[in-house]
Amino acid sequence: MRHRSGIYRTIASAAAGMALVLSSACGTSGPVRGGLQVWALQDPANEPIIKRGIEQFNAASGTRAALTTYANDAYKQKLQVSMGSPNAPDVFFNWGGGNLAQFVKANQVRDLTNALAVRPEVAKRFLPSVLDVGKINGHQYGIPMNGIQPVILFYNKRVFSEAGVQPPKTYDDLLALVELFKARGITPVALAGSQGWTELMWLEYLLDRVGGAEKFAAIAAGKAGAWRDPAVLQALTMCQDLAARGAFGKNFASVNYDNSGASKLFATGKAAMHLMGSWEYGSQAANNPKFLARGELGWVTFPEVTGGKGDPRAVVGNPSNYFSVRSDSPAADAATRFVVETLASDDYVADLIAAGQVPAVRGVEDKLAGTHNAEFTTFTYQLAVKAPTFTQSWDQALSPSAGAELNTNLQKLFLRDISPQGFVEAMEKAK
Amino acid sequence: MSTMYDRPRHAATTGRPPAPTRTLHRRREAPKGPVRRFLRRVNVPAGVAATIWLIIVAVPLYYIVINSLRNSDAYLEEGALRMPSDLTLENYGRVLDLGFATFLLNSLIVTTATVVLVLALALPAAYAIVRGTSRPVRWMFSALLLGLAVPAQAVIVPIYLIITRLHLYDAPTAIVLPTVAFALPISVLVLTSTLRDIPNELYEAMTVEGAGSVRVFRNLVFPMARPGLVTIGIFSGLSGWNGFLFPLVLTQSPERRVLPLGLWNFQNQYGTDVPGLLAAVVLSAVPVLVLYLFGRRYLLRGIAAGFGR
Amino acid sequence: MSKGILGRGRPGAIWAAPAAIFFGIFGILPILAVVYLSFTEWNGLGEPKWTGWANWSRLFDDPDVVGSVRVTLVLAVLCWLLQTPASLLLGVWAAGSQRNRAILSTIFFVPLLLSTAAIALAWLSILDPNFGLAVTIGNLVGVDDGNFLGDRQLALYTVAFVLTWQFIPFYALIYQAATRQIPRTLYEAAHIDGADRWRQFFSITLPQLRHTVVASSILIVIGSLTYFESILLLTGGGPGTATRVLPLHMYVKGFVGFDMGYASVLSVVMVAVGTALSIAIARVTGYHRMSSTREGL
Repeated sequence: MRHRSGIYRTIASAAAGMALVLSSACGTSGPVRGGLQVWALQDPANEPIIKRGIEQFNAASGTRAALTTYANDAYKQKLQVSMGSPNAPDVFFNWGGGNLAQFVKANQVRDLTNALAVRPEVAKRFLPSVLDVGKINGHQYGIPMNGIQPVILFYNKRVFSEAGVQPPKTYDDLLALVELFKARGITPVALAGSQGWTELMWLEYLLDRVGGAEKFAAIAAGKAGAWRDPAVLQALTMCQDLAARGAFGKNFASVNYDNSGASKLFATGKAAMHLMGSWEYGSQAANNPKFLARGELGWVTFPEVTGGKGDPRAVVGNPSNYFSVRSDSPAADAATRFVVETLASDDYVADLIAAGQVPAVRGVEDKLAGTHNAEFTTFTYQLAVKAPTFTQSWDQALSPSAGAELNTNLQKLFLRDISPQGFVEAMEKAK
Repeated sequence: MSTMYDRPRHAATTGRPPAPTRTLHRRREAPKGPVRRFLRRVNVPAGVAATIWLIIVAVPLYYIVINSLRNSDAYLEEGALRMPSDLTLENYGRVLDLGFATFLLNSLIVTTATVVLVLALALPAAYAIVRGTSRPVRWMFSALLLGLAVPAQAVIVPIYLIITRLHLYDAPTAIVLPTVAFALPISVLVLTSTLRDIPNELYEAMTVEGAGSVRVFRNLVFPMARPGLVTIGIFSGLSGWNGFLFPLVLTQSPERRVLPLGLWNFQNQYGTDVPGLLAAVVLSAVPVLVLYLFGRRYLLRGIAAGFGR
Repeated sequence: MSKGILGRGRPGAIWAAPAAIFFGIFGILPILAVVYLSFTEWNGLGEPKWTGWANWSRLFDDPDVVGSVRVTLVLAVLCWLLQTPASLLLGVWAAGSQRNRAILSTIFFVPLLLSTAAIALAWLSILDPNFGLAVTIGNLVGVDDGNFLGDRQLALYTVAFVLTWQFIPFYALIYQAATRQIPRTLYEAAHIDGADRWRQFFSITLPQLRHTVVASSILIVIGSLTYFESILLLTGGGPGTATRVLPLHMYVKGFVGFDMGYASVLSVVMVAVGTALSIAIARVTGYHRMSSTREGL
């Protein structure tokens, strides 16, 4: 195939040229490339902050950095596709963990360890549990670029007070509440079950409470047989049991998170609880402002499992997102400077706080207390600061192919298409 | 409207096998009476089917339009089918602010380039297949027929590889090239059948006059192939306009987004905003509606020429 | 060819060359390349690495392969069963010249104006069990909780229904055009013979439309192998893998899991299924014999 590619390329270029003439006749012009390309996820709250950071960096350094953003599902694909092509970004948003590791393995990410060693005050500013997720094999490849996003159990205060009950402290409380709300004709827990990652949050917390954070750490490290641990089986059985009890209603598999199906269900009081990332607060504020204004949105830590080995203060979720630098970028030095200098700067952190985020930075309690959603951000911050471990979302911590397999099998698990044993065996095989 | 649908007059209808009238010769007494006559006139089963289908088609359409005119709060509070308490165009304004024009322009560029390339490539090929004598052309025709059975999804991985290696990734060209390639088999097939309907005597008459293949193509093949060209124009236009997989995999930036991707992205980004999404859905149909209103006659003739026999 | 392009009025191979080259690069070459890639490991980064039969041996370990092939075939059959009779009846009905039919036909054909993505997204919002029409519709058809897309069995039927909603106008249009080409003299003769509507339909209309039935059946069945985006947008292949068709399974493996080598294995399977199905249809319907007198659809 190789020796013929010259001919094909010539012919294809000719054909392409023809098409290009046709399309350019309609008067379009491509985006201007060059300078420093920064890629991030589409996020109305975050984009202005990154843009401001870029502008300040541009003004201070004379670089021409620009931001491009993509929607969630598209982003991972675009990044994968572009790395190693001329369209690749110089600075790219990622989730740390296995997501970042595969790029590191392909030698496409610059090691930032030395750059941080030169500026020790930068590394010291971040919460260590969060900074660690940007480390691969002991080297720092990613630096936290936005707020921490732990998974939180949200509850509808109005629904709870009408039923005269308190949010659950233990798993047994939760089971009792499930029966109670079912009897009242309310879906106990909103679950966007058409997407596996929402179901994953239940499994993550249950395994953490039952067996402790080291159980998933073993899985993430790729230890053979780690999925077969009895604690994993117990957590999987509990998930299936919850679904069978009707904790998520009958039609949870129809509910979608991307079109806010679950969030609407919860905000309108058709469901009593919702286990979701802390971003749910911001999305309810944007989509259902009246719900927030009436003070009906409540939140608690995930309940304790009696007899479980895990620390009830442990947290799961997205420790943060990270910015990394592409190793073969012609502007790698400028990109490194941007990442190291901007993300821990006072201005950037202040912008994050002003936007309602909780930065992964030490000693910001006072600043958080001054914001208008102080109650929620302080809760989130304390959750992360006190947590002995902050387990990263499994689908990000594992390789993309194992993550895809995980989400598929979760849907099957909740629908009882697959037994906990079947789940475990399928995941043992996934690469 | 019936005048718009006058019977297609091209040669395609002439090759029909003799009609099986034989079966009708066993004569049967036609029942008389008012009920029978009524039934004969209104054709009850077809009427019932048409009414059911009307409900199935019209209710979702009503839902789409009416909720695109409702504001977001009202969508959550009022019933989805009730007439809105007050109609608003703000959803449409919001959609236009979110880059709808760019998506539309991209889709138009991709569609136009696809149609032009397909027409320019398929007609000469069909001509060579129908009138040519060389063996490579036969092989090519067989290869094209094979291509009919291969779904585009099956080759998306290598297409992605080829496009990135040609440095065409994230350009409109990246969408156009594979779309054209996958529209070619059926286009050539439709055109060969159109060209085969041109009577042999016409070709011979021109050859006797000393016309070369270029002249035959220009003066005979091209004018006679028009109905078929309309068909494949519509077909390839629709595959360019509706295309989802190629843009999804082969482009990335927001300024390159085509309409279907724009719609999808809109739902992901502003999930709760069902009225906004529905407004975008309505807007995305406008260009085709305009085309339909102007080209209804050609559309029907084109479909008749390509498939209707 | 000795006299060049302007030979004796017969076009040379050069006329077919542009199309051949084009189809070669973006049609044939990818098919060959996908076979090659199925023997490699490649995650989209860097270069594909040769691994021999490793991906192929995984094919039999993958529980979702058999499932997705089954879903694909069931969907093809469902689509054919739903779309063929309905579009045939509608097309014949719309071919009549009465004014009310003309007006109704205009409404019937509106779904043609909407793109696949638009239709899928609109139905997704209609079928939302909590805020759309799902419960209203569900009460009419015996699904009280409106759980159309979340129920394992129902989801596939619902997807087939949405696809039918989208494609019936197109096929009805084909039947309408074909019906109008049936020589009127046939009906006049039948009328004199005293044949009623039913008889006319079964002894004139249907036999006259048989080529159209075959052609549209092929389009429906082959087309159903490529219903990828509707399903991606409506159910994402869920619940679980209840609506995961083969192309979607390939997409998830290739472009969500970035396991391009294994995705290529699935692609090769897809090419094989598509080709086998086309050949089977051609055999069963005798389409090959029909097209020997006249190529095309």
